[in-house]
Amino acid sequence: MFKKFDDKENVSGVNNAKSSVLRGVRASVLEQFPYIADYMDQILPKKDALKLVKCHEHIEILANSSGEPVFFKQRDGPYFPTLKLLHKFPFILPHMQVDKGAIRFVLSGANIMCPGLTSPGARMTKVDDNQIVAIMAEGKDNALAIGLTKMSTQDILDKNKGIGVDNIHYLNDGLWNMKTVK
Amino acid sequence: MAEATEPLPAAERKFLTYDGPTAGVKYPVRVLYCGECSMPVEYCEFYPNYEKCKKWLESNLPDEFERLMSLKGEGEAGVDAEDGEKKKRQTRGGKGVVKAKKKSEPQGIKLATSKRGKKKMVTIVMGLASYDIDLKDASKFFANKFACGSNIQGEDEIVIQGDIKDDLFDILPEKWKCINEDDIDDIGEVKR
Ligand SMILES: [Zn+2]
Repeated sequence: MFKKFDDKENVSGVNNAKSSVLRGVRASVLEQFPYIADYMDQILPKKDALKLVKCHEHIEILANSSGEPVFFKQRDGPYFPTLKLLHKFPFILPHMQVDKGAIRFVLSGANIMCPGLTSPGARMTKVDDNQIVAIMAEGKDNALAIGLTKMSTQDILDKNKGIGVDNIHYLNDGLWNMKTVK
Repeated sequence: MAEATEPLPAAERKFLTYDGPTAGVKYPVRVLYCGECSMPVEYCEFYPNYEKCKKWLESNLPDEFERLMSLKGEGEAGVDAEDGEKKKRQTRGGKGVVKAKKKSEPQGIKLATSKRGKKKMVTIVMGLASYDIDLKDASKFFANKFACGSNIQGEDEIVIQGDIKDDLFDILPEKWKCINEDDIDDIGEVKR
């Protein structure tokens, strides 16, 4: 989603959200990611300013009061956490660990192919298709990408062919390199 | 042509669980990021300019640098492992080229003057953006400081009304610590 994204060119406007909008966002992300409940006040404090960054292709990025992007979504789709937020709270998403050989492909923005998720160095969480997941890597502690499953874990194992997880946001893509929002 | 062997069936696999915060871990987790490639330092080895990362790590996070290097040493002990890796790679399509950052080194600052009409002069400051300085902020700062008009022009140029070149040699390094007085070059008068 952010392979060619450039915050100088693709951002069309920044707004401060009304408090009713902030309430709505808090409720939605809490519903999507129930484990963050105890940390909600650190992630998106009730009274803080929330910035809505409207971008091309109907992408909307939410930045906290210090201007750091924390969530994003496209059209009316679900909210995705940003990698920076996920690094702070890795339990937000189920983890899918790719083997070592797949790392450089993921870092170049490629989608995650099933064999990279089923080989001996890989480990998966049991999830359905269309689930937002953290892409982890063999031997590494931190997530390198955020993905959306194209198949369930069971199908990834059974088919073991084709794209298992779409690569939505990865280290050093346009969103990762976005400057803090003013 | 030997394709990867059949994956272990689900019944024999160990799966990860999705079960919330880990007891005993203090959140938010503090991740060490590399000042060169910006990724968590454990991913530096995948950066095309790994040598630069190493230099950065060595001078900024010496302990972490030693730890990473010792890990790497173990990995390289078996050259076979590396070979196996290569063979495995060939079975994967695509190139998997990790892109280096576009952002280059600071390019130095160039100052020029240019005539506007018969008498008026403007000063052109080039290269601020290469120091990661926000041009909008800089332009506002100049306008305030010199009580004059200041505009952003092109990719990385600010045009300030008046001939204030001499002042800039002092003010730039003072306002932005990342700029050294020696980085600033006077390129004289240019025609526009
Ligand atoms: Zn690095």
